[in-house]
Amino acid sequence: MKVKAKIKDGIVEVKAMAKHDMTTYNQAEKKTGNKDDANFITHITGTVNGETVIDMSTSQFLSKNPIFKFKFKGKEGDELIMTWVDRKGNTVTEKAPIKP
Amino acid sequence: MQRREFLSLTLGSLALAVLPASVRAEDFRVSKPTVWTAHTVDEAIKNMYGTNVLIEQGVTLTAPDVASNGGAIPVEFSTTVPAKSIAVFQDANPEAAVCVYSIGDKDVTEYEIKIKMGKSGTITIVVEGKDGKLYAAKKTLDVALGGCEG
Repeated sequence: MKVKAKIKDGIVEVKAMAKHDMTTYNQAEKKTGNKDDANFITHITGTVNGETVIDMSTSQFLSKNPIFKFKFKGKEGDELIMTWVDRKGNTVTEKAPIKP
Repeated sequence: MQRREFLSLTLGSLALAVLPASVRAEDFRVSKPTVWTAHTVDEAIKNMYGTNVLIEQGVTLTAPDVASNGGAIPVEFSTTVPAKSIAVFQDANPEAAVCVYSIGDKDVTEYEIKIKMGKSGTITIVVEGKDGKLYAAKKTLDVALGGCEG
C-alpha cells in the first residue's frame, strides 16, 4: 500500500493506494467457475496515536488497486498507520509520517 | 456460506479484541451484513439505516458525466452535515453497496474514491447525520466501457 500524508493548516490530506485485484463475484465465477473465489478489500482503517482517523467498510466495487483520499485534523510529525483486510483474511499495514 | 460467516465473525471479533478501547471502528460488513447483499439502492439504504427517507441537501457529489472506463470512476463527495456515517451506493452492479465510512471527531468529511460500474447508472451518497436524519446527493452518469462485468 502506498500512503502519503500531507499537512496544511492543521488538516492532513491523505492519498493512499492499495495494491489489490478487487475480484468481484462475477469475475471470479467467470475465471474459476466458483463465486467464492472472489476476493476484495473489506475493511480499511487508519489510526494516529491509537485514534481512528479513517474507517471504511468496503465492497467489491472499489476499483482494482483502489485509490482513496481523505482528510482529518492532525499534526506534523505524527505517524499515520493504515491497514486493510480482504475477504480471505489477508492484511497489509503501512506507516506514513505526516509531513508538511 | 457458514464458513465465510464464521471467518468474518472471527475476524471481526479479533479486530475488536486487538484494538484499544478508544478506537471507534465499526465493521459494517459484520454489523449490517444485509447491506452488502442488497440488489437495489433503496433496499441497501433501508437495510443500513432502517429507513430510506432522504433529504437531498448538505451533500456535494462530483463524478464525471461520462466515464470512459467503468473500472475506475473517480467519485468525490463531501458534506457540511455533522455526520455519524457516510455510505456510497450505485445501481449499475449486481449489488448496490460500495463502501460505508464510520465518521469520527477528527475526520474532515471530504473523500475521493475510485469505483467500478458495469454500466451507466446513478451513484447515491447517503450521509447519516448526528441528528439521525439521512442526507443525500445523487449523480447519474454514462459509462462508455463497463467496469469488468460488475
